[in-house]
Amino acid sequence: MTEEKLQGVRFFEFLTDEERSELMEGAKPAAFGPGDEIISEGAESSGLFVLMSGRVEVRKRLSGGRDRLLAAMDADREATVVGERGLLGRSGASATVRAASRVEAIKVPRETFRRMISDGRPAAFKLSYRIARTLAHRLTRLDEEIVEAIRDLERQGETDLEAFRDRLITEWTI
Amino acid sequence: MPRTPSLDGIPLFELLSPDERDELAEIMSPATFGAGASIYEEGGPEETLYVVTSGTVEVHKRVLPGSRHQLATIQAPAVIGEMGLLTEPRAAASVTARTPVEAHGIARDQFLEMLDEDSLAACKVIYEIGRTLAERMARTNESIVGIISQLERRNARGDHDPDVFGDRLLDEWGF
Repeated sequence: MTEEKLQGVRFFEFLTDEERSELMEGAKPAAFGPGDEIISEGAESSGLFVLMSGRVEVRKRLSGGRDRLLAAMDADREATVVGERGLLGRSGASATVRAASRVEAIKVPRETFRRMISDGRPAAFKLSYRIARTLAHRLTRLDEEIVEAIRDLERQGETDLEAFRDRLITEWTI
Repeated sequence: MPRTPSLDGIPLFELLSPDERDELAEIMSPATFGAGASIYEEGGPEETLYVVTSGTVEVHKRVLPGSRHQLATIQAPAVIGEMGLLTEPRAAASVTARTPVEAHGIARDQFLEMLDEDSLAACKVIYEIGRTLAERMARTNESIVGIISQLERRNARGDHDPDVFGDRLLDEWGF
């Protein structure tokens, strides 16, 4: 049943039916109540979640103990994937994903994914390709946005922003 | 017959079996750059991915008119041109050899063809590239938090409204 559900998820369109079943063998259904944390900022990734129904909020801690809403997602409108970066990376989650209603999801646990990689299973490698492309596009757009911001700020000619602008440049990651 | 480039000891090819390494070696060709030579020119083509096996390269970008900012110095072993492979084959920055550089060049077209044909060898290379991008995204996220915090502090002081800028950056957030 889980497998059938995934057929309609755009994120997994690139997989053949066979590969989708392969991926789903190790996946499991997960349900969350309002307020539950699906992904916790700073925690090691436990896997990728395909949100099938319900609403979630993505929040990030800022300095001074403040908290900022980054995004609100509605899986009732379209299934959404969260936690894909954590599947490949070593660093902990960069934001918290919290259920804002009852949420039903399918979890691809990180250990399962890693085991599939060690076993040389094509479905896991194709999923990596999909994630790598998503990351590359986002990074490219971010770089472009940041360049644009730097140029805008420069045009305003504000001296107090020089340090800020330099930081943007030195913190840049290629 | 040209020497087959050895792929042993390169982290990017760690997961590949000997047969898969041979498969990949077929589309690779050795490349060398003298100190100061241009590898990619900002805005120019990025049709080849390089696996740098020795030497150091510098990355520059024209951020503001009339000046070039150094963004990074990268030492071997490293991969360059991977963003061109995964997005558009257009260099977002210039890359120049700081020292003599030895590399294996991989033609983007041929590599993408292998991926289309579901070559496990190509997929394994992409997996390793994906891992480095995931870490880069983690660092970028932290940089952005720094930017947002600064902008919000400015806002609190009654300076210009940074909301539009902040929101644009946030839209691109990758978790």
